[in-house]
Amino acid sequence: MTTAEAMMSNHNKFIVSHAPFWHDGSSITERSYHIMIAALPAVLFGIVQYGLPAIAVVAFSVSCAIFWELAMNFVTKRSLTIGDGNAALIGLLFAMLVPATLPWWAVLTGTFVAVIIGKQIFGGIGSNAFNPVVLAIAILMVSWKDLFDFDEALLNYDLEFTMLYPIAALKHFGPESIESFTAGDLLLGKQIGGIGATFGLGIILGGIYLIIRGFIRWEICLTFLLGVFAAAFIFNIYDGSRFAGPVFHILTGYTLIGAFFLATEDSSSPVNLIPMLVYGAGAGVLTVLIRNIGAHVDGVIYAILVMNLVNPLLDKIRPKAIGKVG
Amino acid sequence: MTSKKELRLAYALAIILFVVGVLSYAIAAFSAKTPDSPMRLMFKGVAGKVLFDHKTHTQDAGYGIACGQCHHHPEEDEAALRACGDCHSFTEKEDAFPEACADCHESDEIEDSKITKRVDAFHSQCINCHKENEAGPEKCASCHVM
Repeated sequence: MTTAEAMMSNHNKFIVSHAPFWHDGSSITERSYHIMIAALPAVLFGIVQYGLPAIAVVAFSVSCAIFWELAMNFVTKRSLTIGDGNAALIGLLFAMLVPATLPWWAVLTGTFVAVIIGKQIFGGIGSNAFNPVVLAIAILMVSWKDLFDFDEALLNYDLEFTMLYPIAALKHFGPESIESFTAGDLLLGKQIGGIGATFGLGIILGGIYLIIRGFIRWEICLTFLLGVFAAAFIFNIYDGSRFAGPVFHILTGYTLIGAFFLATEDSSSPVNLIPMLVYGAGAGVLTVLIRNIGAHVDGVIYAILVMNLVNPLLDKIRPKAIGKVG
Repeated sequence: MTSKKELRLAYALAIILFVVGVLSYAIAAFSAKTPDSPMRLMFKGVAGKVLFDHKTHTQDAGYGIACGQCHHHPEEDEAALRACGDCHSFTEKEDAFPEACADCHESDEIEDSKITKRVDAFHSQCINCHKENEAGPEKCASCHVM
């Protein structure tokens, strides 16, 4: 009797072909470290701009995230997962979104929320319903609002450009207050903000690298940016004296880092084509809605969280299964 | 499953970055000092926050306002160059004099301890100057951010 016949007689329904198999070498570890490498230009730019306090936040955040994951591995008596680099990646992305002067206890708390509440409680990598970093930032923003007031956090810095957090200036004082920001300056990081969230060009280059390597999906990035552009464009045409143009919205706040590094997180984003398009565009449009008519200065964090929430529903839009399950 | 090599890399990252992070925080905390002349100040109160660009108001390239225009003291001396809130404290009780006075004066030297409250001092200072020069924000919401 052949193997196949034996399997059939055992009513096994899943038959695989013969070994040997060839692994293409890709792994979660490779993915995590490549995303970190892609984020480096933006992070290094932040470190050059803000100096030692930025190094402190980035280094402490990455190490704390790894330690929290390690602690959870021990508590739950599971195999050690820190080797896959995902915890380090979470720490790095968290640091990129916060001001350089964030106190150490906020980094410790933030990475705890991201790694433990955002990821491990759901069952670890791949099981999290929300992007862990986005969830942590949202919880910190609600708990300690002032920590994310970039104007206040960076009071004692004096760099060679307008020292106002552009998206907050727009929210509080209208489009007149942002006239001094040109698109070129914003793209080159001449704006205050999160350690790794202001250098637009660096983030875009990192994002393109990740798309080319296949680590993130272009469908999500592109539709996110298109969603922001379209919604901001409509608002701007409707009343240009109250709402800023689409380019400003794309180059400020967390838009670019959100499009390339946050919305694209695996487990909290869809896998099929149409759901990906809807997810990206939805998050983009929501971002502008929250910014323009919502209560918050930036909408990226909450927009991504809301789309994470509807992600399982979106993934129901999928090709019909071939055949019938008896 | 991750290999031993990957695990070692994660341990190394965690330990090295922890040391770098803690040291950087410590050095930044010890070496940090508020600049003698502040860049910007954030005034906070019940009516929200007000971001005041101290540097632009004081520098010649900006509005070039002399220190003494705002920082005043009965006698024009170094004592005037204190933070506004040292004297115009907003929790000041009616008859008590601000702690800052005691830095130089004995309590019996101080005659008039009725000092304008911080909010009133700022309002009169900012609004009057903006009006006089017909420049700067006029509406409440142009300065106050809730």
